[in-house]
Parts: sequence; structure tokens; C-alpha cells
Amino acid sequence: MSVIEQSPPVVAESLFRRNMAAFMENRLAFGSAIVVVLFILMAVFAPWIAPNDPYATNLFFRLQPPVWMEGGDWAYPLGADSLGRCILSRIIYGARISIFIGAAVILVATSIGILAGLAAGYLRGWVDVVISRLVDILLGFPYLIFAIGLMAMMGPGLGNIILALAYKEWVIPCRVVRGETLVTRELEYVEAARALGASGRHIMLREILPNILSPVIVVATIRMAHVIILEASLSFLGLGVQPPTASWGAMVADGRAFILESWWVSTFPGLAILLLVLAINVASQGLRDAFDPRFTE
Amino acid sequence: MSDPILLEVRGLRTVFDTRAGQVCAVDGVDVTVQRGECLGIVGESGSGKSVTFASVMGLVRPPGRIEAGEIIFEGTDLRKLPPRQMQALRGRDIAMTMQDALTALNPALTIGLQLAEMLDAHADDLPRRGAARRQAIRERSVHMLDLVGIPSAGDRLGQYPHEFSGGMRQRIMIAIALASKPRLLIADEPTTALDVTIQAQVLELISNLRTELGMSVVLITHDLGVVAEHCDRVMVMYAGQVVEEGPTDSVIRAPGHPYTRGLLASIPRAALRGQPIRPIQGQVPDLIDLPPQCRFLDRCPHADKDCRHLIDMHPAGPGRRARCIRTELFQTERAKA
Amino acid sequence: MTLTKLLERLVQLVPVLLGVSVIVFVMMALTPGDPIQIMIGDQIVTPEQEAQMRRDIGLDRPMVERFFVFLGNAIQFDFGQSFYHRRPVADVIIERLPATIELTLVAMIIALVTAIPLGVLAAVRKNSIFDRIATVGGLLGVSLPGFWFGILLLMLFAVHLNILPVAGRINYGISQGITPYTHFLLIDTLLNGRLDAFRNALAHIALPAITLGLPMTAILMRVTRTAMLEVLRADYITFAQAKGLSRQRILWRHALKNALIPTVSVAAIETGSLLGGNMIIETVFGWPGLGRLVVESIFVRNYPLVQAAVLLYAVIYVMLNFFADILYTILNPRVKL
Repeated sequence: MSVIEQSPPVVAESLFRRNMAAFMENRLAFGSAIVVVLFILMAVFAPWIAPNDPYATNLFFRLQPPVWMEGGDWAYPLGADSLGRCILSRIIYGARISIFIGAAVILVATSIGILAGLAAGYLRGWVDVVISRLVDILLGFPYLIFAIGLMAMMGPGLGNIILALAYKEWVIPCRVVRGETLVTRELEYVEAARALGASGRHIMLREILPNILSPVIVVATIRMAHVIILEASLSFLGLGVQPPTASWGAMVADGRAFILESWWVSTFPGLAILLLVLAINVASQGLRDAFDPRFTE
Repeated sequence: MSDPILLEVRGLRTVFDTRAGQVCAVDGVDVTVQRGECLGIVGESGSGKSVTFASVMGLVRPPGRIEAGEIIFEGTDLRKLPPRQMQALRGRDIAMTMQDALTALNPALTIGLQLAEMLDAHADDLPRRGAARRQAIRERSVHMLDLVGIPSAGDRLGQYPHEFSGGMRQRIMIAIALASKPRLLIADEPTTALDVTIQAQVLELISNLRTELGMSVVLITHDLGVVAEHCDRVMVMYAGQVVEEGPTDSVIRAPGHPYTRGLLASIPRAALRGQPIRPIQGQVPDLIDLPPQCRFLDRCPHADKDCRHLIDMHPAGPGRRARCIRTELFQTERAKA
Repeated sequence: MTLTKLLERLVQLVPVLLGVSVIVFVMMALTPGDPIQIMIGDQIVTPEQEAQMRRDIGLDRPMVERFFVFLGNAIQFDFGQSFYHRRPVADVIIERLPATIELTLVAMIIALVTAIPLGVLAAVRKNSIFDRIATVGGLLGVSLPGFWFGILLLMLFAVHLNILPVAGRINYGISQGITPYTHFLLIDTLLNGRLDAFRNALAHIALPAITLGLPMTAILMRVTRTAMLEVLRADYITFAQAKGLSRQRILWRHALKNALIPTVSVAAIETGSLLGGNMIIETVFGWPGLGRLVVESIFVRNYPLVQAAVLLYAVIYVMLNFFADILYTILNPRVKL
């Protein structure tokens, strides 16, 4: 017992390895993680993978059906949209937007959330009161409405979307970190560090943070799936990235007008969202089961 | 009905399949309960005493299952009873109380409802339906709470378990268990969760109700002192097996198994000859893949190479049996002292 | 729960509501673009007229003062004029609100009515095929983008099968002559005794309500399953079994009442996401509610309406959480507020 408490970093590392091993054993979750990686690769290498220029319009191929349907053509494997742009290429490029925004929002929000949560949980006192109040107030807004409101104010744009989503998103990691910090700060090795005269910053970042990272990572992955749907929703409403930039939500919206005759315009980009989000969700659930036995059902 | 034996369990074997292997929690246990008697079952946690009677009630949950044995209650083998009839028998013929009434009573339902549903499920002598039935159930509920000594019972039916003290909750649980006048009450650690002063009251209550309702009681406990005071016969269990059984007085006067001796020596009661308390050293063995030898071997001060084979129960005086090769030695030793 | 405690909790809402109003106000104040210019649009006005307009709506005052004016007006449900509709914002909102509330309630009911039984069954048959399907379905439910799923449903049911309408709340022709007692069409049609209109309204609301409720269904199912699994391990379930109660009664009465406690909390929080989801779903299905109005208002830069709606949604959300707390204490007699 005492050995464990005196040397947390070693334990944290071996625990991490054991957890990763448990995660690998979960074949479904591991497979989903691979799907996520494939999506990321697709986004990174979009220019080399995409069969066509995603912005090249060609009214001759307007609303061309996918290759396996009558009138389809290998030039446009998933068909073309109302401006004759290649749907597959646009989906491949759209992955960039979804993944970039998802990752950026989670990165920004988690960084802010960790700092605020550590400060609130470790320093307590008025810092905790201020941060917790702010968290309560932000929790008073339904998420999407808050984001829509902000987007309406700030206008569209990549940076603004990240801002609009991160504005509230940080609250979630913040609450997790605060709760974990409240527990961890009372543990023996933290008290030992304090007794040895370690600074508050050292204790927060070097002693506490490494040992509460597991739940933070788990929450971050679960939330990333959420953020991707939120971004797609904003784009669908026309409040996201602006045309002609390819974004999955906007592509679904474009196809709405043609659902009578050209179902593929809306269907495929939506399928891409579903696949990516589902893969992240399954993988993060596996991560959660492996890393945080408290949540295990 | 004239049969003096109410419950007879033969060769019961209950196992739990776990990832580490098969845990044999109850391994070849025989139990006999006479009509009207109070049988004490003693053993530490993990000895299989609770699982034995969960098996009798048909309440072993997966991954646990009964692998072998007969459980004969009033002439019928309960293992062969269809689930519906077993359900009807539970509560009506065999009732059970649990260790901690705080967790055994549903926190979200009033005690009145928890009593009434028991009566509703089993009491056949009440009016069939309608207001008359509800009225009769209510009267019977109040009567049961009176019986276990809950003051102003009628007013308290609408209260929730957390609104009662620990002793009161235990009484309420007993009232519920006894509401449909069972012939056998299995009281699983009825006093462990209680203060010492209240322990005595609850045991007294169970004893009185036993005579009043003419039922048999199986008292599961780890406290040999409780058994000494309240039980006609005692059965000592260790690591899934019965190691000793017999009339309480005789067993306590001259125990025939070192484990029983150890239990007696570890009772913190001045009444037992002012000897120093000597807790039994060591732990209950892991119940997976036990070697074919005496299970108490590792903890026994008398063990030697002769104990390294399977040991059966053998007679050890009038109405007594024990599972040790040195029983007679212990008994003569005690007789000399 | 006493009245004083209730009032105490209500008072605790004040700082949160105040904070919410500050944020909504700041959100608006920081909006790029001059509201006066937006009001003016293409009309030609003199600088004097412009200054007069600025004074009329208080834009020349300091921020803090403007906030308190805004707050005072908001409390009186005065959100200024909707330039676009040339009517007070409050009137426009009230006109659209019933459609949104009706849609949200139906979605919520669908979610609760399907999620709870499915969650219970998944827990009872843990690791069965059904449980696995439910788990996969649950993951699918939270991963489906609502706007896309709505379009798929429209394509299938409204376009290809042609059995459900594409948009709106009710067919215009059928809606004639219905007195709007409650402004909830499903209720009003019944109150008017117009079964044909009721069926028509039901057909209109089916797809949007299912789409809106789907993620909530998935989440609640998971919560119910987890809670049930935990509850089913509790002692009071064993005791209820020992009482000989029927399986149905143990599940739906003893277990579910306890398992519902976390489910209700989550349901309240998820209702908040229904409010947000409204904007999307109403847009997809052409539902004439507040959500679609807000989205449209953003594009015509009708900011006072957006501001009012965001504030209104936030207040509703805070109140929902408050009611969930109260419901929580009603379901859970152990918790005293």
C-alpha cells in the first residue's frame, strides 16, 4: 500500500499500459479506433485520395447518380451534387473540417478545463467559488442554443465555430478535473509533496495532473463525438463554415432540396458523419471500460 | 404432518463459475431441521453458511448454481419444483430475514406496502378482493407490527425504512418475514448490524415468536455465543463443509473439531471460564481447486501428516458428528479438565 | 419536502438566472454591426432621425444601465420590437411557442415510454442477444446526426411510401374551424371532437418527434440499464424474492422505482438538448415553432428575437433542472432537500 502511494508516476505508467492492453483486447473498440485513424488519414491526405477537385463544378454532371445506379459513372463514384461537384471528393475534404474542428475544440476546451478545474479543486476558496458559479451559469444554457446564439452574433467562420463550441465545452472537463482534484489532493503522496515544500504549481501540474489524466482523456474522446455532431448541425443550419468549403453538415443541407429525385446528395455525407461519430463513440466506450472501472456497467 | 423432520438437505453442492475457476462455496452439505427446533449455523464469512440457505430458498444467482444434492422440505424436493410453485413457497412456507434491514428493505417503498404485498401474495385466508381484502391486509399488517413491538403501528405504515431506527427496522423485517406464518424462518445474521443492547432484544423476539407461531428457526451467525443462548442444536461450517454438528450444550462443553474449539476460544465473553481470547490464526482457504485433505489443515495447531487426506464426518457421541481424526482425543481431554 | 426548503431552492436559482441574463446581454452587446443600421435597412434617414432612434432604444446609455433596463424589461416579458415582423418580439414568440412545446413533449414522451422498458429488459437479460442489440442501438442513437436522420425518414415515409406528410403541423384545410383552447393541436383537435384532424396532426408530428427524441431515447435507455443492473444487485431485491413476490412485481415495482431516480435526473438534462435539437428538427420538418423562427431570425439579423429566445430557452432549461431536483426528492424518500 505504502509503496503504491509513494511512487505514483510509476504506478500511473504501468496502469496506463495495462489499461491499453485491456483496450486492445476489446476487438470492437479497437476496430473502431482503427476506423477513426483511417478517417484522420483520409483528412490529412485528402488531396492525394480525392478522385476529383472538390470545388470543380460541372453542370453537365449535375445530380449525377452514384456509379452503381443507372447513369452512374466511375468519374463520380458517389455521384455529383446540384452544382456537379464530386460528392466523394467533397466528403473526403469534409473530413478535414469535421476532424479539425472537433480536435481543436476539444484541445482548447480540455486545456482550459484542466487549468480551471485544477485551480478550483486545488486552491479552493474564492477561486473555486468563481469558477463553479461560472460553470453553473454556462450549464444553464442548452448547448446547441448557446452555440447558435454565439454563431449568430459572431457570424460564420472557422475560428468562430471553434470559439462558439469551446465557450461552453470547457465546462465539462473542468467539472471532471475539479472533482478528481478534490479527491487526489488529499492523498498521501500529494501531502508528502506539500510537506516537502513543493510549490502549488508543481503539485497541480506534476503530482495531481498525471494521475487524473485517464478520466480526462476518456471524457475528451466522448465529447469529441459530440462536438463533431454539433459542428455538423451548425453547418447544416448554415451557421458553420461557409460555402463553397466542403463540410458534411452543409452538404446534407444542400441535398435537402433534391430528396425527391436525388437521394444520394444528402445521404452520403450524413453517412460519413454517422460512421465517424459512431467509431469515436464505440472506441471511447472501450477506452472508458478499460481505463475507468468505476464507469463499467 | 407428523413427520418430525421439516427440512432435509442431502449432499448439497453449490458452485460459482468465475474467471479464476470454479468456486465450490457449498461442498456436500447435509442439514436436518426438526419441527419447532432452533438450529444454529456457525462459521466465518466464506464458510458457505449463507449460500447453503440461499440454495434452499432457490435464490442462488448466476454465476452461482446448485450442482448436486436434494433439498427436501416437507417431503418434496424443492429442486424439482417448478419455478412458480417455488415462488409461492418462498415467503409462505420458508421465510428469510437478512443481515442488514437497512439494505434489505426497499428504500423507495413504504413499510406498509412492503408488508401488505407479502400478505397479498400469500395469505389465502383473507377476503378475495376489494375493500374487504384491503382492510383485512391492513389489520393484519398492524397486528404483525404490534407483534414485533413497533409502537403505534397503525400510524407508521406510511413511513419509509429510513425513518426508523436500526433496531426497529430489524423488527419490521422480521414482521414482514413472518407475516404469512411460515413454518421455517431462516434468520441470516439477524444481529450483526445491531448494537449489543438491541441484539438481545431481537434474538429474544425471534425466540418468542418461534414458540408463539410454532415454527422452526435456522439462525445463521458467526457468534457461537448467540447460538449457545438460543439454539437447540448447532452446525459448524468451514470452507464449504460442515465440520461439526450436535446438540448445542454438548458441542460447547466438549467440541470435537479444532475449528469449533478455536471459535469458542475467540468468543469475547467473560462467561466462558475467564480464559484469554485467542483468535484463530490464518484465513479461510481459497475455495478453488482444494487439495484432497483436511481444509482446516493450514490453520490447525494439531495438524500433522495424517490430516493430509480426505476426512469424512463421523459419529462423535449422542446426536453428534465431527470431521476430524482427533475428535475423541479432544473430547477426553476436555472431560479430564 | 417543506415549503421553506422549496423556497430556499428557488432563491438559489436567482444568481444562475442573473448570470444567464448577463451572458445573453453581453452576447448581444458584443455583436458586430450596428443595430440601428439593421433597423434602418434600406430606408433613408437623416442623422438626426438616427440619433433619435438611438435614444429611443437607449443605445446611448452606459452598458450597465442598459443591462438593467434589459433585465427589467425581460422580467416583464418585454423584448422590444421584432423589426422583421413589425410586432413585439414577445407576441411573436408566444405565438410560436406552443408548437415547439408540443413537439418537445411528444418527443420526451416517446423517449421515456420506449427507453425505460427497453433499458429494464436489457438489464434483466444482460449479455443476451437483446441486450447486445439494445447496446448497439443505443450507440447508434447517440451517433446519428438528427438533421440527417430526419431527412432519411422524410425520404422514406413522405416521399417513397407517401404515408406521412412532408412538413407542417396540420393540413390547412383540416385545421379550419378548430377552436384553439390550449394551442396544442393534439389536444385541441380532441377537445373539438375532430378525430380526422387529430389523426392528421398526429401524422404530422410523428416523424419530427421520433427524430427529436431518438438521442434522448438512446441515452435514457443506457442510464436505465446501468441503474437497473445496479439495483438488481441490491439486498432488497433478494429480500423481495425471498418474500415470494412475482418477478414482474420485483422488476417493475421494487427495482424500477429505485432505478428511475438517476433516469429522471438525466431525462431533465436531456430535455435541454431537446430544446436545442428543436432548432434543427423544426428546420428539417418545416415545423412552425420557435426553433425554426430563431434560425430564420438569425439570417434576417432579427437580433432582439434571437436574444429573447436564447434567454427564454436558458430560463426554461434552468427551471427544468429545478423541477428535476424536486422530482428526484419525490422519487427518493431518503433525500431531504
